[in-house]
Amino acid sequence: MKKYVKSTLVLVCICATISLMLAATNAITAPIIAKNQNAAANAALLEVMPDGKEFEPVDISSFTLPATVTEAYKEAGGGHVITLTTAGYSSGLVLMCGINADGTVSGTVCLASGETLGHEKTYGANFTGKNLAEAEAVDTISGATKTTAAYRGAVKDAINAATILSGGSVDIRTEEEILADNLAAALPAGEGKFTKQFITEVIEGIDAVYRAENGKGAVCVVGEQFIGVDESGVVVSAVETALAEQISAQMTILNSSVETELDLSNYPELPSALVSAAKTATGNYVLELQGAGYGINGGDEYHPASGEYIYIRVSMTKDGKIIDCLTVSQAETQGIGSVCAEEKFYGQFAGKTEADYNSIDGISGATITTNGYKKAILRAFESVKILEGGAGNEE
Amino acid sequence: MKNNGNMSVLLKGILKENPVLVLILGTCPTLATTNNVAGAFGMGIAAMAVLVCSNMLISLLRKIIPDSVRIPCYIVIIAGFVTIVQMVVQAYFPALYEMLGVYLALITVNCIILGRAEMFASKNSVGKSVLDGLGMGLGFTIALCAMAIIREVFGNASFAGHAIAFLEPYKIAFLVKAPGGMLVYGLLIALVYVITQGKAPVKTEFSCAGCPSAGTCQTGACQKKGGEQ
Amino acid sequence: MEMFKTLIVILLSSVLVNNYVLSRFLGICPFLGVSKKINQAVGMGISVTAVMLLATAVTWPIQYLLLDKLGLGYMQTIVFILVIATLVQILELLLKRFSPTLHKGLGVYLPLITTNCAVLGVAINNINDGYNFLESIVSSLGCGLGFLLAMVLFSGLRSRIDESRVPAPFRGLAVTLIAASFISLAFMGFAGVVDALFA
Repeated sequence: MKKYVKSTLVLVCICATISLMLAATNAITAPIIAKNQNAAANAALLEVMPDGKEFEPVDISSFTLPATVTEAYKEAGGGHVITLTTAGYSSGLVLMCGINADGTVSGTVCLASGETLGHEKTYGANFTGKNLAEAEAVDTISGATKTTAAYRGAVKDAINAATILSGGSVDIRTEEEILADNLAAALPAGEGKFTKQFITEVIEGIDAVYRAENGKGAVCVVGEQFIGVDESGVVVSAVETALAEQISAQMTILNSSVETELDLSNYPELPSALVSAAKTATGNYVLELQGAGYGINGGDEYHPASGEYIYIRVSMTKDGKIIDCLTVSQAETQGIGSVCAEEKFYGQFAGKTEADYNSIDGISGATITTNGYKKAILRAFESVKILEGGAGNEE
Repeated sequence: MKNNGNMSVLLKGILKENPVLVLILGTCPTLATTNNVAGAFGMGIAAMAVLVCSNMLISLLRKIIPDSVRIPCYIVIIAGFVTIVQMVVQAYFPALYEMLGVYLALITVNCIILGRAEMFASKNSVGKSVLDGLGMGLGFTIALCAMAIIREVFGNASFAGHAIAFLEPYKIAFLVKAPGGMLVYGLLIALVYVITQGKAPVKTEFSCAGCPSAGTCQTGACQKKGGEQ
Repeated sequence: MEMFKTLIVILLSSVLVNNYVLSRFLGICPFLGVSKKINQAVGMGISVTAVMLLATAVTWPIQYLLLDKLGLGYMQTIVFILVIATLVQILELLLKRFSPTLHKGLGVYLPLITTNCAVLGVAINNINDGYNFLESIVSSLGCGLGFLLAMVLFSGLRSRIDESRVPAPFRGLAVTLIAASFISLAFMGFAGVVDALFA
């Protein structure tokens, strides 16, 4: 019995002593280990802000920041380090940007990239030392326009986020949000729901028309101005009388536009790319064309057997000037050829004639899609000539 | 004379009773941490520190610890020192800590340490036990480094992380992988056999003396195995 | 389904790809020492698997429910090894008491397992890898089975070695290690297979 007690006692004593030794060592080493781990975590932060001293995570949920911002750290000197995730070709970029207290970029690094690896590794250096305006002026890299533009946008977001975190206020609305706000302000009756109208008549002085989806009128964009017009064509926004009268007159033309479908079988020489055609009362043509995209024989000729066409709607005067152009549907490579469905691309054709339509800016990285699109536009010019000529023949 | 005795206690671990190459103890870390010299050296020094400390404490307590609970006592003491070494390495050598990973904690079950506690420290004076720990630790470190040099230089064309350019085209990448470790270890044992033939008692098989579990092993699994041989 | 897939991947990769003996060098001592006869190898392998499962089932809750809650993470090694040693003792006593046949078969290997680094290794690795309880159990099972597989395969090889004439310097452990190296080389072929199976 005594033997057992002694054995147990010795074992317990040894355990206790060892535990005390461990606790003592832990007391000494734990702060150092914590510091090391902190330093390792901060190593990435120091890469984008080499002069930074102490970093402290910021709770971003209490701020309204650009949607790309995922994490933020505040530096002791007043600067910020912002982590952002952008939407890119596939999974986007994960960037870390250091922003100094004065709003200039102290450094950026690309932590992860779902994109074609390359430029984003070195592109970030272009932003070091730049402020918001200078950062916006950094050029994208051709061949990686989308990626570098996303990078630039993220840096801009980071600078804005840092301004907000420092207590400043910044307009962080996206272009779409700004447009929606302007439209809603110009025509409250539209209840905030507007669709861009496809223009089929020649209208003077109006850049774009947005129809209220509830039929309660439209908003005309004239330069920077957004002018509301009710369903009977009366201007409701406060503008100069002369401008109001002009817009009212143009809207009347637009509202009274009537299209008549043409029977294409009467014109056997029409190109196969032409799907349908209609003529307005004022003699303009509205054409639907199919353009061969990347998936169809390299975008050159028309092979209906495979792939998806790009469907394009073009309105054109009878003497061959494009009034409006719209990509109706497409199935090009997402993020590359799919740019042909964006207004910044197809909007370029408005006002062009057969002589100068070729001068539009192509989609970078999607030459085949661009060429297929241009070829369809060329067919539109040819179609209008044939339709005009055909009409003459019938007389 | 006494001095001489101490010297021999210290030196025997380096070659004559080298724990890795002659006593064939601590095979796990030997194979696992020798794919680069820095890790092998770190593991050697860490194990030596544990060995010296645990040998010292066990020798100090050898008259207090009752025979029936000595193995649990040794394990607690060794695990304690291992944890201390673990914390110190993590605090002051974080890179090494990353490199050694779980093998640092596994020094606890390194046969060399429990084996020396059982075979030497429990029977000898504090001074001799410390010297024994130092000697064995040195032998362990040297053997590990020797193996690591072979594996890293020829397998990865580098030395302690510094690239050796002219060897780059000739490197045998398989040496730094698991099978390479076993192959180099086997060849080294054969080499030591050739070098020390007739000079040192060469053990080419496990024996009860080197088995850390010998104390608790009443069933004589080893003897049975030895008998069969 | 997703969980089932994860468990299968953990099981297969710990048996084949990250085989504890052949690619992580844990449990090398018994691998080289006790794999001379196929029945010894099987006995040792089963004992190790049982102790691994038991040890994980006990150490996992200890780590998450006790040590982490009390901020005693640094006691991990010491607590785990004591738990394993105690478990081995209890298992041996229970076997002796309730199943003398099984004790006769496996009992001799149990004392050797306390200081088997594969058991402590699997307990610590399950924590380090952040596995949940079920994953930890499956991972332990995989490691144990991997150990058993390596032991059995190797015992077959060793009986052939024993019948061959080996040059003097290589006799004993040297040739054993070199043979083990070839088995390990063969197992390297499994790398990527498991992931590809479920990709």
